[in-house]
Amino acid sequence: MTEYLIRRVLQSVLVIFLITLLTFLLIHAAPGGPTKVMLSPGLSPEVLEQQAKNLGLDKPIPVQYVHWIGDLLQGDLGYTFKNHIAVSDLLWPRIANTFILMGAAWLVSLVISIPWGIYNSTKVYGLSDQTASFISYLGFAMPTFWFGILLQQWLSIKLDWFPLSDMHSRGHEGDIGDLFMHLVLPVTVLALGFLASYMKYARSSMLEVLDQDYIRTARAKGVQERKVVFRHALRNALIPIITILGLDLPILVAGATLTENVFNWPGMGRWFVEMANSREYSALMSITIVIAVMVVIGNLVADILYAVVDPRVKLGKQGGKAA
Amino acid sequence: MSTDHSQLVAQSSASASGTPDSGLAPTPGPQIPADVSKRPPGPWVVLWKKFSRNPYAMSGLIVLLVFIIAGILAPKLTKFDPAAIDLMFPNLKPGAEGHLLGTDELGRDVFTRLLYSARISLMIGFSVALASVAIGSVIGAISGYFGGWVDTVFMRIVDVMNSVPSLFLNILFMAIFGSQIKYMILILALTSWMSIARLVRGTFLQLREMQYVEAAKAIGVSSWGIIFRHLLRNASFPIIVNATLMVGGAILSESALSYLGLGVQAPKASWGVMLSNAQEFMLVDPMQAVYPGLCILLVVLAVNFIGDGIRDALDPRQQVTKSRRRLEKWRKNYSKSGN
Repeated sequence: MTEYLIRRVLQSVLVIFLITLLTFLLIHAAPGGPTKVMLSPGLSPEVLEQQAKNLGLDKPIPVQYVHWIGDLLQGDLGYTFKNHIAVSDLLWPRIANTFILMGAAWLVSLVISIPWGIYNSTKVYGLSDQTASFISYLGFAMPTFWFGILLQQWLSIKLDWFPLSDMHSRGHEGDIGDLFMHLVLPVTVLALGFLASYMKYARSSMLEVLDQDYIRTARAKGVQERKVVFRHALRNALIPIITILGLDLPILVAGATLTENVFNWPGMGRWFVEMANSREYSALMSITIVIAVMVVIGNLVADILYAVVDPRVKLGKQGGKAA
Repeated sequence: MSTDHSQLVAQSSASASGTPDSGLAPTPGPQIPADVSKRPPGPWVVLWKKFSRNPYAMSGLIVLLVFIIAGILAPKLTKFDPAAIDLMFPNLKPGAEGHLLGTDELGRDVFTRLLYSARISLMIGFSVALASVAIGSVIGAISGYFGGWVDTVFMRIVDVMNSVPSLFLNILFMAIFGSQIKYMILILALTSWMSIARLVRGTFLQLREMQYVEAAKAIGVSSWGIIFRHLLRNASFPIIVNATLMVGGAILSESALSYLGLGVQAPKASWGVMLSNAQEFMLVDPMQAVYPGLCILLVVLAVNFIGDGIRDALDPRQQVTKSRRRLEKWRKNYSKSGN
């Protein structure tokens, strides 16, 4: 187990290193490169040179990379070109906002989808199952932002039940009730997406387990169906579900780009698009790295969780290789 | 490509019915004289037979064909120009002044823009799927066939690509390279080839120890010959399923990027661009937001149904599901009578 852990952690570090390298090279491969974009246009060549020197852009690329990594490791995510604000000052509050939104959506969808999926696995192709699979199909095929726009038109403009966009009404910052009203529409949109996949996972995971020999044995012994489902099947079916949830953890901070844009939610995703539209490369780089690190950690946690939850997974030399 | 391929597959399955593609089939040799009338149907024929019996898949196919034809014939189907601004008639109701679905805030014909969007979206969707199949198969083939450090390097790259949510990657790339359609195709392909690579690699790992590969090696077929002629073909059906589903994903990504202002740019029509316009003018004309989204939904649903249809047609376990359904029914009846 320890060996596996060390191997996985090292692997994750390697992946993160590669991501930083890739992002850095990409930005420098951009047409014109950062040099052109980072510097204000219309300056005299001498001033340009001076500015480039100040930003460290005159040094060779490997040196720049090492500097950048050094800064990153010290928690310095760089500054925006426009107003020279520290990226980290802008980043963390937005991550928190996204986390509120995604956390709510995630909880709602979990509470609905897992029990529903389990129920459907006991009544395959019943009415409830058909409805669920219809919803799944919609969830996979419907552009989330379109669903958001439709909800806005119907529930907010036409019926005026919920606020159109933003996180708080003006003057109501910190008001939980106000925040809740603002959450309803985006959470609905996001939850539909989660619902679609979690319901499928829960159902298929349960079906797989219900097909096993020990379930047949339990039934043959005359164990009540309810006990078969909840005590024998559910426990084992939860293992893959937990893994999926672990893999989805990073989405909690990164997953709402479109919804945030539709509802003008002041989170990571909207900010990322803003930065992309104004070509703020250092902010883009930092956000990408932060997200990638979270994803890698999420994957790591999911893997470890899987090993902890499932006693059948023996991790040793073979286990490490398979990953 | 498909006709050529199907003939080859049909030939090989006829000459060595039962055993998978022997690898020697195309070379002229002692062929079993096959009675043409008794020749078992080729895999494509079987696939089509099963596929055409699936109502979802068939309706998906019809819807997709309608959209493809509408996209191709767009200039014939409408007399308007998708980018032509007519400030005399903004926000017309459907049917007014010969505009089938009315006009948008700049007086552009909505129906025309929908048609031209279909063109762009489908073009991007299929190109991305093709490009990622190309990238994914080559990388998956190389790393599955050769293994070793090449495999390690490629699989680490796959890990890296998978560790940033693809929408973020797309946004980042689009910001770096600029919003041109050719870049968008390339970028979407670069962020979606990983599943194909994994799949091809898996197939190759399974098959590279097979005897027919050994035989091919023994008669001096080059590595590339084995990869492309003997191994990749065995992965072709799963690749097709994956690629089909990828078309839907690519169309969704395209519309998302266009909606965010990083994809197809304003004078050109795209469902995403139309939606982002529609959101701005939501109070004036709420229906503008309905049509483009509906088109995306229909096309993506159609493509997904087709993909699922192909997968079900290929899946030998399909029969198992049927028998399981019977089992469930029996169990229900049994437990009812028991209690």
